[in-house]
Amino acid sequence: MATTAAAPPYIATHEPSRTGIWSWLTTVDHKRIGVLYLVTALSFFLIGGLEAEIIRAQLMHPNGTVVSADTFNQLFTMHGTTMIFLAIMPLSAAFFNFLVPLQIGARDVAFPRLNAFSYWVFLFGGIFINTSWLLGAAPDGGWFGYAPLTTMQFNPGLNIDFWVLGIQILGVSSLAAAFNFITTIINMRAPGMHLMRMPMFTWMAFIVQFLLILAFPVITIALVFLQFDRFFGTQFYELAAGADPLLWQHLFWIFGHPEVYILILPAFGLVSEVLPTFSGKPLFGYPVMVYSGMLIAFLGFGVWAHHMFAVGMGPIADSVFGVTTLLIGIPTGVKIFNWIFTMWGGNVRYTVACKFAIALVALFTIGGISGVMHASPPADLQQTDSYFIVAHFHYVLFGGSMMGIFAGIYYYFPKMTGRFLSEKIGNWHFWLTFIGMNLTFFPMHFSGLAGMPRRIYRYDAGQGFDVYNLISSYGAYLLGFATLLFVWNLIRSRKHGGVAGHNPWNAPSLEWSIPSPPPDYNFAQIPTVTSRYPLWDHKGNVREFHEGDAVKTARELGIPMPFPTIKPLFVALFLTLMFSGLLFIHKNNWPMAYTFMFGGAAGMVISLYSWLLSPLE
Amino acid sequence: MGTHSRPRRLTTAALTAVLAVLLAACAPAHPNSIFHNHTDFNRDVGHLFDLLIGLGSFVFLFVETILVITLIRFRKREGQPAPAQTHGNTRLEILWTAIPALILAVIAVPTVRTIFKTEAPAASDALQVTVTGHQWWWQFDYPQYGITTANELYLPIGRTVNFTLKTADVIHSFWIPELGGKRDLISNHTNYLWFTPDSVGDDVFNGFCAEYCGTSHANMRFKVFTVKPDEFAAWARHEAEPAVALDTASKPAPAGKGAAPSMPVAQAAPTTASFVSFPRTDIPKYAVPETPIPAGLTFDQSLTGNAVAGEKLISAPTSMCLACHAIKGNPMMQGIVGPNLTHVASRSTIAGGLYPNDKEHLEYWIKNARVMKPGVAMYTLGAGQIDPMTGKPTDIGKLTDQQIADIVAYLQTLK
Amino acid sequence: MANPAAALEHHGHTPTTTGLDHRKVAIWAFIGSECMLFASLISTYLIYKGRSVKGPFPHEVCSPPVCDTVMKPILNIPVTSASTFVLLVSSLAMVLALAAVENADQPKHTLGEKILGSSRLWLFMTALLGTTFLGFQAFEFTSFVHEGLTIRTNLFGSSFFTLTGFHGAHVTAGVLWLLTLLAIDIRRGLKPKDALIVDIAALYWHFVDVVWIAIFTLVYLIH
Repeated sequence: MATTAAAPPYIATHEPSRTGIWSWLTTVDHKRIGVLYLVTALSFFLIGGLEAEIIRAQLMHPNGTVVSADTFNQLFTMHGTTMIFLAIMPLSAAFFNFLVPLQIGARDVAFPRLNAFSYWVFLFGGIFINTSWLLGAAPDGGWFGYAPLTTMQFNPGLNIDFWVLGIQILGVSSLAAAFNFITTIINMRAPGMHLMRMPMFTWMAFIVQFLLILAFPVITIALVFLQFDRFFGTQFYELAAGADPLLWQHLFWIFGHPEVYILILPAFGLVSEVLPTFSGKPLFGYPVMVYSGMLIAFLGFGVWAHHMFAVGMGPIADSVFGVTTLLIGIPTGVKIFNWIFTMWGGNVRYTVACKFAIALVALFTIGGISGVMHASPPADLQQTDSYFIVAHFHYVLFGGSMMGIFAGIYYYFPKMTGRFLSEKIGNWHFWLTFIGMNLTFFPMHFSGLAGMPRRIYRYDAGQGFDVYNLISSYGAYLLGFATLLFVWNLIRSRKHGGVAGHNPWNAPSLEWSIPSPPPDYNFAQIPTVTSRYPLWDHKGNVREFHEGDAVKTARELGIPMPFPTIKPLFVALFLTLMFSGLLFIHKNNWPMAYTFMFGGAAGMVISLYSWLLSPLE
Repeated sequence: MGTHSRPRRLTTAALTAVLAVLLAACAPAHPNSIFHNHTDFNRDVGHLFDLLIGLGSFVFLFVETILVITLIRFRKREGQPAPAQTHGNTRLEILWTAIPALILAVIAVPTVRTIFKTEAPAASDALQVTVTGHQWWWQFDYPQYGITTANELYLPIGRTVNFTLKTADVIHSFWIPELGGKRDLISNHTNYLWFTPDSVGDDVFNGFCAEYCGTSHANMRFKVFTVKPDEFAAWARHEAEPAVALDTASKPAPAGKGAAPSMPVAQAAPTTASFVSFPRTDIPKYAVPETPIPAGLTFDQSLTGNAVAGEKLISAPTSMCLACHAIKGNPMMQGIVGPNLTHVASRSTIAGGLYPNDKEHLEYWIKNARVMKPGVAMYTLGAGQIDPMTGKPTDIGKLTDQQIADIVAYLQTLK
Repeated sequence: MANPAAALEHHGHTPTTTGLDHRKVAIWAFIGSECMLFASLISTYLIYKGRSVKGPFPHEVCSPPVCDTVMKPILNIPVTSASTFVLLVSSLAMVLALAAVENADQPKHTLGEKILGSSRLWLFMTALLGTTFLGFQAFEFTSFVHEGLTIRTNLFGSSFFTLTGFHGAHVTAGVLWLLTLLAIDIRRGLKPKDALIVDIAALYWHFVDVVWIAIFTLVYLIH
């Protein structure tokens, strides 16, 4: 792995294969790992979406009978868990992987094999959690898993075990990736790529990595306590032993609130790439955008208890957390105005990517406003745990994160594949998504204010909920249809999309200076950067690719490339097996438990040593 | 833009349709709306809401208007010169930092004031009600009156009520959207919530559990009856009395022994001394549960129950009922796990507000509660019935339809 | 590449933005993350302090009716002070090991120079002291169990064993890491250019040591 500007003094001895399943299993190329993340996360997104469709079918009419109470509880738990941990986070990770090295002018991430490891752990963790469906024991404690409902006393099945272990496995993936990207961004920027010259997406990615490394240990500990309670008889959440159920809530939300920013900031970053390009103007107020991102992240650690206004913390705590939560509105509002003024005075080209980005600005505003409404604790008492909250966070996560991610996919698909996504299907996808999203989630504001609690699997007619639920369900079906169009667009355009050049949108940042799709070494020559928008300013030493030029191989250029290796996959697999062993404790099958746990641990240590002691390139 | 216009036209059509539907949706009543200010609590919250919705709508319109103007004015046209490469504008950026800060300050001040007002201790002469959450029903104790009841609250109009909130198991949340709340019920914690139902008449309100609490979270509802003070006094006096034993021969007249409640009743109201419960006929439709009876359950409706036989059945030492339920005045019935049945017939609903309290629903309930309400602790008691939790025919109770009819006949005497 | 250490060292020669090796940056990020892990564990211990409904208790006598019999305070401050001292000394040994590797090329004449300059000795000493600390912990845990405190007994037991157990697991991982370095040293000798991999292990080791100081103060010393 070379990040030097000068060509290394020796010649690569190998050329990693770019095709075949084995090449995907062993790849350590950040771009291919990014694609793996994208495809896997979109698959989980479809599963989570299917769960949502069933939920909406059940709630479409009063006293629905599509699914049983238990199934419904599993569905909403898994919908939340899937969308947060298996869809939006890894979709963001797909962009971290694909983009960050390209945007900072690097040939790879700092630890390519650790990167592969992160992906495989994510994949196996996702499969692990979803295996529970096959056993009819999907997690059913809510994505927030409040103790004591999740303790053995009240939930003796395997359901919660899958959830506790699955989230811990996914945590390993997120943490490993975060260490990798922090190091990459700190240490592998091209010459002249000062922090304040980094593209906004990389900035947001950078901030998110810090949120990850600081937030995930906290949920890990909360989960360890729950796991120990369930498997080894500790008493962290044991009511009879005097335990405080709020311990879980505090630990969970100290993680859970930064998690919200982990979900939204990458989308903010993507939109901050898309809007300037299609406006033909630099991002308005770049430094303020950076500082507001930092401020949001920093304040994000000080507001967790606004999820707990109904637990009776007392007037002082309620006031403090209410006011700090209001404060977060300021940097968020600044971002909205900066995006609008990025377009102001520009020549805005309404491509599908641009439309999705604009949709984020429009819809996130709604989620932000309702967010301010429940920052006020007395008002929140009437809102919390009602459908009003469901409306709020879907405006933030669907109207915000997903719209940003869709914008990113339409924008970067040409870079990833060399072909455009169909703008025609894309327009249908966009408008149906936009309508479907508002149809689904806007009425939820009303059903919430009309008194409908969250997480109920049925309700009586005549309670003032009927019409809103009916509209929501139709909206959800429309969203489902739009999503199928999107999948069709991806599949079709992968082979038949129009051929895109290296910089089809006339974008300003480094990733657009190289061929589409980029060669495995990214940059034939590491660029030297002297401005924020090198391809617009034509400053610095950035060699822009000429369409039609031959793309040389790494070997021809003498760039050493990391060896492909299967070892990270093995470490991830053994890690997952080790965790799976704990499930057998629950069934009192100790031989199987020991076999899996010690077998997994031994396999993991052996493959880890073998990985660490084998050469990278 | 030929390819783009068709979806856009459709959008306009769809949005118009949505708007029409939403307008139509305003017509139906909202019997659980949080905006009905029947208490001081909801009025305080309502003032905050007015402010929040007002400012929120303003910000929404302001931002979206600027956005739309930008989108129209600065769309790319043919032959346009390249846009000026502005990087920012310090003055503007300070402005849109300061304005939100100002708006938020306007919200913060009344917020903090309302926090301290609503979370202050309740007035000392308040009606005390202890709420205990159970999976999945509500226990209501009136310590000042010696009353224990379930799933139905009676509140005197105009008097502050102070709820002491506890739980017997997992976390629940106490919510009556039209009156106030919500506040969580948390193990090893005691929470409080108070309000004064002052701008209501004799009325009924729906209450919900708002914190996810397991399988039948959706089936954990309750009713609140606001009644005139003298009606409340009469109700309280009646509720405090023990049940009247039918088979006086077999028991040493428990009714006579404990008839006079030792607890003081706040207001004497001779005019409504006959008030036992909120008249069924006055209960509005939205407060009458409509849960359908699950498919597959049958009961021989032609049977007539014998209340004396029913009393004997449930008070027998081998009865399954006494393990969980209590009936004041019946020394055999001392259970505390399930709802207190002393005056069960005076309630309008059963099973955590899930079904109307009538003969038919009681019969199905006793026959197979676990089919009637998923996950419920009450056993499947009907002979030959499949217990959905085990998937096997029940080996508990094994009551015949006739026995169930007898028990129901007895329960219906517990006015 | 047959030589494993050569693979490890390869990174060190690549110019980076900060001039620091990637692994050094990553270990600092890792340590930051670990701080939150231990902060959560220690906070939980402190929140649950005094909430146990039955004994044994850390600093207080538990007498009937709370406990069946009179139970003495369970924490053994003198013994743990000794083990804390051992762990502190191990950090000193770690510093000497790193210095020895950094100066591996310097000629050594006197016995003192030879002893101080022996990276194998100091790596071994660090691992040995770490293992001694673990031995103390094993002794402590066993004696607690004999006195009636297990991880299942009460909130104190659960939070104490989980906190100190997590720390013990970190020490164990550190000892394995040190032994791996020792094995490399014995096989081919660690040279100044290998200082980085020892430096990273040292950072981790010192961090684990500092965490113990916090635990010792907050759990053992403060009543």
